[in-house]
Amino acid sequence: MIEGLLSLLSSPIVSRAIIGALLIAVVASTSGTLLVFRGLSFMTSGVAHAALGGAALGLYLQYTGIAPWFDPILGALLFSTLVAMITGYAGETGISQKMEVAVGVSFALSMSIAVFLMYYIPPTQVPQIWGYLIGDILLLDNLDLVLLGGTAVLLVLLFIVFHKEFIYVSVDMEGSIAHGLSARAYHYLMLITSSLAIALATKAVGAILVYAIMVAPAAASNEVVRSVRGVVVSVFIIAVLSELAGLAASFTVNASPSAIAGIIAAMSYVVAMHIKKVREHANSDLDELELAVPGHEYGHGGEMGERDSSGGDESTRVVSEEPV
Amino acid sequence: MSETLLEAHGLTVRYPEGEVALKDVTFSVETPSFMAIIGPNGSGKSTLLKTALGLLRPISGSIRLLGHDSTRESAAIRRLVRYVPQRDRIELTVPIKVKDIVLMGRLLKKRPPRIASRTDKRIAHEALQRVNMDEFWDHPFNELSGGQRQRVLVARALAAEGPVLMLDEPLAGTDAESQRLIVQVLGEYHTENDVNIIMVTHDLNPIHSYVDNVLLLRRTVIGLGKPCDVMDPALLTQVYGHSARVVEYAGHRYCVTRDTGVDRHHD
Repeated sequence: MIEGLLSLLSSPIVSRAIIGALLIAVVASTSGTLLVFRGLSFMTSGVAHAALGGAALGLYLQYTGIAPWFDPILGALLFSTLVAMITGYAGETGISQKMEVAVGVSFALSMSIAVFLMYYIPPTQVPQIWGYLIGDILLLDNLDLVLLGGTAVLLVLLFIVFHKEFIYVSVDMEGSIAHGLSARAYHYLMLITSSLAIALATKAVGAILVYAIMVAPAAASNEVVRSVRGVVVSVFIIAVLSELAGLAASFTVNASPSAIAGIIAAMSYVVAMHIKKVREHANSDLDELELAVPGHEYGHGGEMGERDSSGGDESTRVVSEEPV
Repeated sequence: MSETLLEAHGLTVRYPEGEVALKDVTFSVETPSFMAIIGPNGSGKSTLLKTALGLLRPISGSIRLLGHDSTRESAAIRRLVRYVPQRDRIELTVPIKVKDIVLMGRLLKKRPPRIASRTDKRIAHEALQRVNMDEFWDHPFNELSGGQRQRVLVARALAAEGPVLMLDEPLAGTDAESQRLIVQVLGEYHTENDVNIIMVTHDLNPIHSYVDNVLLLRRTVIGLGKPCDVMDPALLTQVYGHSARVVEYAGHRYCVTRDTGVDRHHD
């Protein structure tokens, strides 16, 4: 049995798939984490579908002879960048809700362009457009791995050098600008590199795996892990475990590795939400217990149970005083 | 020698939605100063602060901070300023630690990779001690209460460098103890250090005894002077409307209004 396992692991298909899984986990722990911090988990699917529109444009330009050199992957990367630019423009003031709307609009626009162009492309080539969404981790070739590897290395380098700036922009865009940071540049750098990474990862391993691995582990980790570094490490671990479990399942029960990995990653989010709820319940019980103790005073520096009153009901307020 | 801290000439600014936020604002305040900008919701207080920082562009007129024009010399202004935005502008989705928020004030003035030195950490600890939050050094910022978060943001400004602290509604939505502490710390910091403070607030009452200048604003300048000078019923009625009342109690005169909350003009 061990010999069978070793021969399976040494097969080029499986070893490429394992390397691909590790690289996708790297993309998720950098870009995926930052997008969830930025409140932009929806951007992954928006960018993947924008890439579809770009690929359709590439095929159209090739087929009509307008620009035979325009490879569909160039169109995919171009459209992904456009989504990042539109999203970035909407979110320049730091409000993530506006960016989610911009992603939704870009998503619809790209899909409309894709469907529009499909009408002018021979039906035999249309499946090639959809192929930009339907990859498979077991069908990775060496070029896919090189592209994914390059993307992962670039993301890791950017994350190591600029993670503070990306975090500052996510936490306090206005304050960062006021203190002299070129916040808009980092804002766009983060969105554009994430978009390009999503587009390339989607081309390599397929949309389902990218959606699942880019969003769910980061969202799950962000619910329960209490530090930025902890979230990054946790995302990597959840992503790798989900993908390896998916690969193992594909050999034992003949299932799609992406689907199994997606289900496991999504379950991690459900489990994390449950852990958070249990933890909050335990904390509120503790607060009630503390309040019930006669003479209890909150510790030095804090009134943890205090709630904001800003923006509350209109009330009478003393504005100023002057000695008479 | 005294120089001009903040001066505006014919300043008119629109909100991003198009409505006029400030119209023909002209005033001048000298250094050193602990200055309060007060007025009701929508009176343009935060807009004035953001325009001075170069975050918003005036449609006419100008505003200068320590002699630097807000549109042409915003980079110079941002080297001089330590800014505390309204608390609800801070995103709580990131599990950033209290220490990282405070160090952010210092590291933002450095170049990448913005490594915190031993001195940076010592100063950050001292700033947190001033606001009684040092024990939360390793605590996630998003798990703090509103008042605690505000104290940490004030500590960020105290730990940073630059001759001007600008605070946008630092007392809004905080408990009485946090308000008292923030005001006391800022007042002491202003007198101990050669630092100017410009604070936007609804409520002059807590900072009354520390403030040098008060700018009464309702889309334009209604009054400017010492706290006692602007405590004029006629001026306050112009700012807060006819609901404003001046009442006397225990030897003090208070202005009571029906205004509350934080300005929420999002751009």
